[in-house]
Amino acid sequence: MDLTDIGASIRIALTYFTILYLTGLGGLFSERSGIVNIGLEGLMVIGTVTGAAGAAIFAGPAPEGMGLGAGGVIFGLLFGALCGALFASVHAVATINFRVDHIVSGVVINLVAIGLARFLSFVFFEQATQSDPGGPHLPRLDIPGLSDIPWGLGNAFQNLSPVVLFAAVLVFPVTFALYRTRWGLRLRSAGENPEATRSLGVAVAPLQWQGVLLSGALAGMSGAFLAVEVVFNWREGQTLGLGFIALAALILSNWDPRRLLVVAFLFGFAQAIPLRLDDAPLISLLPPQFINMIPYVVTIVAIAGFVAKVRPPAAAGRAYEGAGGT
Amino acid sequence: MSTGDATLPAPRALPPWLESAVAQGLALLAAFAIAVGVGSLIITLYGENPLTVYSAMLSFAFKDITSIGTVLSIATPLIFAALAVSVCFKGGLFNIGVEGQFLVGMVTASWAALTFDFLPGLLHLVAVLLFACLGGMVYAAVPGVLKVTTGAHEVVTTIMMNGIAVSIVAYALNGPLKFTEAPPGQNVDLRTDIFEPSALVPDLGHLFGMGGSAHLSWLFPIAIVASAIVWFLFRRMRLGYEARVVGSSAGSARAGGIAIGGVQIKLFLISGALAGMIGMQQVLGERGALVQNYEAQLGFTGIAVAFLGQNNPIGIVFAAVLWAILSRGETALQLGTNLPREFVIILQGILIFSVVVVYQIAKRRLARRELQRAGAEVGLRDTATPEDEAPREA
Amino acid sequence: MSDERGAGRESAPPLVVMEHITKRFPGVVANDDVSLELRPGEVHALIGENGAGKSTLMRILYGMYPASEGRILLEGEEVSISSPRVALQHGIGMVHQHFVLVDPFTVTENVILGDEGSVILDMETAHQKVADLAQTYGFQVRPSAVIEDLSVGEEQRVEILKALYRGVEVLILDEPTAVLTPLEAKDLFTNLRRLRDDGKAIVFISHKLDEVLAIADRITVLRRGTVVGETTPAEASKAKLAEMMVGRPVLFRLEKPDVEIGEPILEVEGLLGEGKLNGIGLQVRAREILGVAGVEGNGQKELAEALIGLRKSAAGTIRLAGTDITGWPVADIRNAGVAFIPEDRHEQGLVLSMTLWENAVLGREDDPPFSGRTGFLFIERIKEMAKRLVKLFDVRARSINVAASTLSGGNQQKLVLARELDTSPKLLIASQPTRGLDVGAIEFVWRQILDQKKEGRGVLLISAELDEIYALSDRIVTIYEGRITGEYAPDAPPEEIGVGMLGAADTAEAS
Repeated sequence: MDLTDIGASIRIALTYFTILYLTGLGGLFSERSGIVNIGLEGLMVIGTVTGAAGAAIFAGPAPEGMGLGAGGVIFGLLFGALCGALFASVHAVATINFRVDHIVSGVVINLVAIGLARFLSFVFFEQATQSDPGGPHLPRLDIPGLSDIPWGLGNAFQNLSPVVLFAAVLVFPVTFALYRTRWGLRLRSAGENPEATRSLGVAVAPLQWQGVLLSGALAGMSGAFLAVEVVFNWREGQTLGLGFIALAALILSNWDPRRLLVVAFLFGFAQAIPLRLDDAPLISLLPPQFINMIPYVVTIVAIAGFVAKVRPPAAAGRAYEGAGGT
Repeated sequence: MSTGDATLPAPRALPPWLESAVAQGLALLAAFAIAVGVGSLIITLYGENPLTVYSAMLSFAFKDITSIGTVLSIATPLIFAALAVSVCFKGGLFNIGVEGQFLVGMVTASWAALTFDFLPGLLHLVAVLLFACLGGMVYAAVPGVLKVTTGAHEVVTTIMMNGIAVSIVAYALNGPLKFTEAPPGQNVDLRTDIFEPSALVPDLGHLFGMGGSAHLSWLFPIAIVASAIVWFLFRRMRLGYEARVVGSSAGSARAGGIAIGGVQIKLFLISGALAGMIGMQQVLGERGALVQNYEAQLGFTGIAVAFLGQNNPIGIVFAAVLWAILSRGETALQLGTNLPREFVIILQGILIFSVVVVYQIAKRRLARRELQRAGAEVGLRDTATPEDEAPREA
Repeated sequence: MSDERGAGRESAPPLVVMEHITKRFPGVVANDDVSLELRPGEVHALIGENGAGKSTLMRILYGMYPASEGRILLEGEEVSISSPRVALQHGIGMVHQHFVLVDPFTVTENVILGDEGSVILDMETAHQKVADLAQTYGFQVRPSAVIEDLSVGEEQRVEILKALYRGVEVLILDEPTAVLTPLEAKDLFTNLRRLRDDGKAIVFISHKLDEVLAIADRITVLRRGTVVGETTPAEASKAKLAEMMVGRPVLFRLEKPDVEIGEPILEVEGLLGEGKLNGIGLQVRAREILGVAGVEGNGQKELAEALIGLRKSAAGTIRLAGTDITGWPVADIRNAGVAFIPEDRHEQGLVLSMTLWENAVLGREDDPPFSGRTGFLFIERIKEMAKRLVKLFDVRARSINVAASTLSGGNQQKLVLARELDTSPKLLIASQPTRGLDVGAIEFVWRQILDQKKEGRGVLLISAELDEIYALSDRIVTIYEGRITGEYAPDAPPEEIGVGMLGAADTAEAS
């Protein structure tokens, strides 16, 4: 293991950061409005298959695709986001209109997503569990300045998908929208105290719908990013529980977009360890399958260790307390 | 002018438990109708006739006694899985980690099968089953203890445990439990050694004239017995009562002196034990070994079946059989129609969603009826005011 | 005698007229042909016991519910108030009994929510506006303070500011003094008078007759959904009002059993915990009822929870009949002979979704004869016990197999009482035992508590209602900010006890 490996690990971490941050932000909007959304994984799954399909349709070479190049790939990613939002509306209807338990609905979303993804895969790719490898993707970038860091660390910032930058930059508009606009104030108010919100004449249900749809769009885009930009095709099961790791990151970040930026990166780094740092000291002593467990163990330890110190939005928090709450 | 003392005609009186059962049954039927309806739409989009498709699926499942046996053997692991989920759910816990507990159960059972091969017949089998349950229990204890001591939400921890379990199986097959003699041919599928016959669960199907392909084993009646035990636990045992109190109102449970943490851990353990049995059908009833491409997702399917059966042991058995019929119907689709087998998954998905929503509506309807009946018989001043009319949104 | 209140205002045309309002919920008629007029520059009190329909009527005015029949006129014109937003647009504002404030937000954020004035928030201007508004009406409040850090009185001011910020002319207050100390209530009345003099129409919903007589210009009495009378403080007395509310002369005192007080059952010393308990010391003796009087939020809940074992105290001792039970788990404390009537029977008493018999055994399910050592439940025996309790305590229900959620509040409380007393405890902790109950249920519960003296038990009564404290206690102590601040004889006048509750000289002044 040398510095090049560390550089490569950071690059991988940035990739996973993108996935976790986008999904986490999605969860943030939903939960801040008061709707717990553990279906992020399922939303990502839908994003993966539809994102890959969209990229193939818009950017794939003619005659099957429309050959739109980079723009087509972007359309593909947006298509993944759109489908994620559509699928999330199922969760919205169940929880907001029918008042189904949030966690139950989230579990249903995850279950149905797997089957739906297979079905969609069949529709788009005529194969049930994967699409053809080598799908179109956006051109890679090097971040100026950072990519010139010597000793191999610079390669952490080379060859990145533009979506990584997009995700990182998102923190600014999201934070602004959440804390400095009227919409953000109302959204947060709905999640903390829906009764207070209603009593002032602000309708809560539309805000919650917006939160849930946003969560679908962001998680969908995250899945689309994974399929289109990272592995270049769709494969069943490729989300690997990342939706839940994003949820854990969201909880640990205390539902704040700035903290989430940091936590998502740290968790992203944990993902990188089995991939690039398996010959690091200590880690190399473990059997390979155990190294694969590291990201999951890290998440559990983090959640168990820090969970007492977080405070979910009051109205959403009831779902988190479950039977254990008073 | 009399005011609050007005009375209403009382709805017909049935004993509450019967009313509840009827409501659940009707909810299931309504959800089923919705799923069938939406499914019909999709079928017509494919240019097929819904009636022919559905009857093809059903008749395939029932075409002969062997097919029925296959349906029941598909249902067997689902019953265990759904029971595992429901046990925790009754106590307000979401054990999504049933999948991981099932995987670990298979590993420990395989270990026991290979290690205790010196035991005679039935004892060997009993030991294997015991270790299956123990594996699940221990694995479920981890998120359970974390929940009780640190408050870590079990949804996140159990899912992480699922991820870890996949690696545990991979590690076992690559290392300690790897086959001692290479399997014949060029097939390089990893697996354990084939278990001694004394470890396997005896076949039941042949008693009914079923062919060997049904793989209906004694695990099926064991599953039925397990659901009876779960029913008994929650209706007649103190732990079940306390679990239900904790699941409904933790504050009142605590004030009544119930040790919530203890109850929750016990629920995780029971749930884990049941989950450990999930894999036994494939490992002991069908293949006689733990293989690399084991049938996965059964834990998650169990969650779906639990919702379908409304977390009720009797409902779960029916729901599992229903699910198995649908799964079996997948093959019928491939053979006789244009539809992809994935259509069944969609149908199953719509079914779960409809059940969850319809049941929610039915529950509220039922509560309102009970209130009206109370008001009619007992007098309105002694009855709770219905919070039916929620204050309006702006 | 000059009486500025109301004089000269009689001739002002009504601002709001509610005509023949009827409101039906499934199975209940909450308001039956109620008519009401609100005039500017007047404090109009709406009184009645729990369930009389006062809150419902005002919620209709505030647009939270539609009336089943009747209409509302605003300055002579009929209006349709379809939501709180519309009500606010018409100049009608409401301060609810349970505040609806967003805890982590600041005062300003709470005030402007919904009427922020711009898509991008300009908090500086907003803070200034709120500060100016508060100053205009003489309210003391810091715009940038976070709600979580405010006292109850300050929170209430924020609620009022919310309404004033929107330019209301009609301000409805639902049981505003339920959570205030006597001094804070005095401040509130000062503020209300200022608003009234400014020409606002104020509706004051309350069941506290002393305060109503102190602040109101006009009083409307509701009983069981209908108006039974309208009067003014000059014409009415507390007793008369109570009689109108209930329909018969009300017993303010029940007969207390004449028994000899015995040895100490409960001894508490130096109980400290979490900032809410700051060194509590008290004693309850056998056949004695000790009344702990105080405005809610001064540590009563924490005290009760510490005594039953739901809360660990940081320091101090609790002794039950000589045995040190400090830090014991709930089950052990219950087994030692303590019973608990919680202040919130939904959160800590009953499981609403379960049946009456399942609730009846809660806390005793592992005792013989209800279950065996193997954990098997003897349901037939449990049901027999439940039937006996339901009969004994006259819990009105169709059968013991119905869900507890179908019972009225009074019957639910009776069930809790029955269950707790059936354990034959040495000590009964009763926390706000008659909250939300109608008079019949209140009398029943009071009778039961008094009867405990005859059984040789001790009772720790924690209550925010002085009437209740007076009716039941052999000795009274006051609690304030987690400390016992005074001990009084059962016939001590309210002013004295008020001193202990906060050091206020009186509760509310007559004009």
